[in-house]
Amino acid sequence: MAALLEVSGLSVHFGGLAAVKDVTFSIEPGERLVMIGPNGAGKTTLFNLLTGQLKPSGGKVLFKGQDITHKPVYARTQLGMARSFQITSLFPNETVLTNALIALQGTRGGRYRMFGVFTRDKVLRSAAQELLESIDLWDKRSETVSSLAYGETRKLEMGLSLASSPDLLMLDEPSCGLTPTESKDITERINTLGKKITVLMISHDMDLAFGVAERIILLHFGEISCEGTCDEIRANQTVKDIYMGSHKASTAGG
Amino acid sequence: MATRPVDLLLGRLMRKAVAAPPVAAEGSRALALFKAWLPALVILLLLLVLPSFVPSYIQSLVTKMMIFALFGVSMNILWGYGGIPTFGHAAFFGFGGYVCGILIIHGGIANFWVNLVLVMVITALLGAGLGIPAFRVYGVGASDNPIYFLLVTLAFGELLVRVAISARSLTGGSTGLSGIPYPDLGIGVSINSYSYYFLVLGIVAVCLLVIYRIVNSHYGYALRGIHDNERRMQALGFNTWLYKYTSYIIAGMFGGVAGCLFAYFGGTMVPNNMGMAMTDIVFLIVILGSASVYFGPVIGAVIVVGVDYLASMYMPERWPLIMAAIIVVVIMFIPQGVGVLLLDLWRKVFHGSAA
Repeated sequence: MAALLEVSGLSVHFGGLAAVKDVTFSIEPGERLVMIGPNGAGKTTLFNLLTGQLKPSGGKVLFKGQDITHKPVYARTQLGMARSFQITSLFPNETVLTNALIALQGTRGGRYRMFGVFTRDKVLRSAAQELLESIDLWDKRSETVSSLAYGETRKLEMGLSLASSPDLLMLDEPSCGLTPTESKDITERINTLGKKITVLMISHDMDLAFGVAERIILLHFGEISCEGTCDEIRANQTVKDIYMGSHKASTAGG
Repeated sequence: MATRPVDLLLGRLMRKAVAAPPVAAEGSRALALFKAWLPALVILLLLLVLPSFVPSYIQSLVTKMMIFALFGVSMNILWGYGGIPTFGHAAFFGFGGYVCGILIIHGGIANFWVNLVLVMVITALLGAGLGIPAFRVYGVGASDNPIYFLLVTLAFGELLVRVAISARSLTGGSTGLSGIPYPDLGIGVSINSYSYYFLVLGIVAVCLLVIYRIVNSHYGYALRGIHDNERRMQALGFNTWLYKYTSYIIAGMFGGVAGCLFAYFGGTMVPNNMGMAMTDIVFLIVILGSASVYFGPVIGAVIVVGVDYLASMYMPERWPLIMAAIIVVVIMFIPQGVGVLLLDLWRKVFHGSAA
């Protein structure tokens, strides 16, 4: 089967600093790929290159066989990519329901309709109910997002990313700042997504990474340092060096 | 929530105040709709019978208030909903007025409706032209720091002022374009200052209704989303540039309509109607009335035009001083605007809670 996402020779420079250097990998449909790496390894930068927020200095990104290297963010979403944000990124002044409605509207027709009443759109509302029920937030639908607890905003964050029913879901630190129990909940949610959704995840959280991943890529100083299955990564000397700091050069901790 | 004056200037208005009330059950929807629209209906009826009870100078004052209400609401599409503050909205207002006057005086188009449509088309084209460079400097998620956008839009306004001063044969130069007659409706009814009031009332009411529909539509909610979080909107699949760009055109178009009505109203357009002086007024209208409530700028317009009138009667040279004092007082004591205060009061009285 053809790869869903193919990245070849991707790099980006900020001035003299190469934040991502010649990264090449691909993801098969249905796969769960996790990217790990210490702080400053270029994980989020790579992520932003894949989602289109940053323009690469070189290299190519193919999604479903199409060259999307220079496509804007929204066009990638229309093609079937979706992302979540490390720093919770919602519409804080709107209610939970409106957040879901806006998110669902993103990839549906009628985005530019000027004469319907948005909050009474029946099709959107029923889709929003389904979405919010799936993340257990339907009961909180009338609450303003800024009044939600942190754990709930993280759930909504993931929910909004799923609103476009993407083929490729890219999660940026989904468990960022959560308690171990909440983090476990997120792990379960990702595992119950089903094989129709391919997952690419960045994570600091090793429990989450090993709980989700079929394959792991270790990023270090903007380069792919090694890749393999969970067991291979666990046994890998480089990973140990970087994360346990057993040699001098690697001072960054996990 | 405390707001710093700089937040206000940068358009970072708190939109927290007005969470939507829960949607009523299907059965009582007609009643809920009626209740929600009742104030608007009452005000419309009052405005319809008002001329029978007040002297003509008050009537003309109310005409001006309505024109500026439309001007303020049109700017609020950008500012309150899209989160895009502009220092150049008066450019559309004045430009619309000039186009209207030039079409009548030099173009020989007397019919009001033809004129109105042409003004809308031409100001929309102006918006389409200016919007491209303006949104290049706006960037993504710039509602946090729209300073370049503010400067560019400010420059557009001043540029148009210069053009109006130089193109003397067309615009009358710095003394302005005068002699714009009352409109000809093309149905044999002659319009004077008395009946012009009703024409303005009709046009402004229709425009406000249309804008209300727009900001509550799918398109309008996308704009609100961009105000809150443009990056997320892009990630959700919205072409945010197109939304910002079109909202700029739409706001400009309605600003042009207000300018057109203003040109008929005063019979004169001067270059400053496109510049900073007029932008100040519309800024004050929106800040004072509140950018987070749809009818906020209407309230703002009533207050600003009213105070302007009083000031011009009793101390005409002090108007800028009074205006500055109002800005300071509003930002210090009611940064959320009078509109939010009134809305809270309304909810307290009629729904038993200040939502």
